[in-house]
Amino acid sequence: MISDSITNASATAAPSARDFAKKKRTNRSAKLKQSKLGLRREQWLSQVAMINKGGDKEEMDSNRKTGSEKPDQRDRPVENLDGQGREEEDNSGTHGHESFMESLSNSPNSILSGMNSIPNFSSSSSSGSGGSCSGNITEEEDADDDECLDDWEAFADALAADDEKHEKENPPESCEEHENVIKQSASPRDSISGSDVAVRDAKLDCPRTMSRKQKSNQAWRPDDKLRPQGLPNLEKQRSFPVMNMHFSSVAVPSSCPICYEDLDLTDSNFLPCPCGFRLCLFCHKTICDGDGRCPGCRKPYERNTVKVEASVQAGGLTIRLARSTSMFCRVVCEYIGWYTNVKYIKLQ
Amino acid sequence: MIDFSRVQKELQDCEKDKDASGIRVSPKSDNLTRLTGTIPGPIGTPYEGGTFQIDITIPEGYPFEPPKMQFSTKVWHPNISSQSGAICLDVLKDQWSPALTLKTALVSIQALLSTPEPKDPQDAVVAEQYIKNYQVFVSTARYWTETFAKNSSLEEKVKRLVEMGFGDAQVRSAIESSGGDENLALEKLCSG
Repeated sequence: MISDSITNASATAAPSARDFAKKKRTNRSAKLKQSKLGLRREQWLSQVAMINKGGDKEEMDSNRKTGSEKPDQRDRPVENLDGQGREEEDNSGTHGHESFMESLSNSPNSILSGMNSIPNFSSSSSSGSGGSCSGNITEEEDADDDECLDDWEAFADALAADDEKHEKENPPESCEEHENVIKQSASPRDSISGSDVAVRDAKLDCPRTMSRKQKSNQAWRPDDKLRPQGLPNLEKQRSFPVMNMHFSSVAVPSSCPICYEDLDLTDSNFLPCPCGFRLCLFCHKTICDGDGRCPGCRKPYERNTVKVEASVQAGGLTIRLARSTSMFCRVVCEYIGWYTNVKYIKLQ
Repeated sequence: MIDFSRVQKELQDCEKDKDASGIRVSPKSDNLTRLTGTIPGPIGTPYEGGTFQIDITIPEGYPFEPPKMQFSTKVWHPNISSQSGAICLDVLKDQWSPALTLKTALVSIQALLSTPEPKDPQDAVVAEQYIKNYQVFVSTARYWTETFAKNSSLEEKVKRLVEMGFGDAQVRSAIESSGGDENLALEKLCSG
């Protein structure tokens, strides 16, 4: 049942994703991004609305499930996600701008092809998490059920307040579970570093999401640091969270500072050195064939390592591939993104 | 294979803000492997008022290898050879980075003029003078700047040579035949 709903959700989302991708190809300038803000807002609002409407259904679902079913549920959405994610990658046109994550963070760096499939699950997957992750949603829906809230903001406020209570009762548990789930999901893909990375990132993730919960008495205050970047009326110079500072402060150049050629999407997501100096893959290769030192900081590049850097930015997730040598990075990113999204939706 | 597109763009960038920086780079030959850089002497140093020319050779591996630079204008400086004009500067050697450009390298040379490093000398004689007798160093450097790094007009050159006791017409033809080089003209006048 859950798997069906997920597939349906993503199937309906696919045409619009393709539409967005076309636009992106023809017009990659920042102006377009600005014009999309409105669309993103609509999208975001509709997603929240979907949760609002789906409240009854969710409740029924989770009531029907007994305790013995829970382990199954935990695995099933993950399998589904995986298959679906690959499908999406094969389509390859369905990249980037559709991303719910991106709409939240609105950072040009956060466009990561691996993330493309996330928004499609966000609405439906919350029902899965209701049973498996913490059970918070089920109880919340019980509380809110008879009130029939139309206003999503009010709904979000109510949820947040409710969530806060639960958080006080058992804050560490949800965090641990979050980690466990990611560990489980990552291990079949990659047994060595993938799960470590995922877990480490989950740890990064947890305190931030919790702090968001504690702060949010309203849906989004205009001065809220964690307010989604995709929402309009945004002050451009608002500083990002300190944790992310050393990435955000380095603007992505439009051309490679070494060969002066334009950076393509892959190049602009390529961050070979922690100092933040960006360059195109060709120049990076040439340097690695030589002395292998970063032109920005003169420190030697780390060789043969795969690094995934993830951080939560304004409730969304920003992931960068240090070296995109392996496909499994994408998959790990999807897992991280999906679970963060689940958490995020739960907060609404 | 030299990345000429990058050199070309660097030349354009230099051209854009040459008035602000005072730094110019111009090609010597058509194939952009040999260039001439020009930097003004830093204010508040014995090199103030001078204009220094630097020969630039773009190597095969540029920008992954540093450009070869040496002064064609004679300079009295501990880190610049008074004979050859060779420059002792780390960014032109092991500290070169592909992110640097011809312009930033020239700016580094300009900075070197204002902050000599006598402990790591290129010209031992100058360095010794700098350490042991700083005042003499300053006056020598200033004299060299006046003599070699200032573009005086033709009339000034003629006037100076006439003051030495040569005939006006003779001086003018000597300067013309030596391509405006005052010292070369003097040599010609002396030799015959």
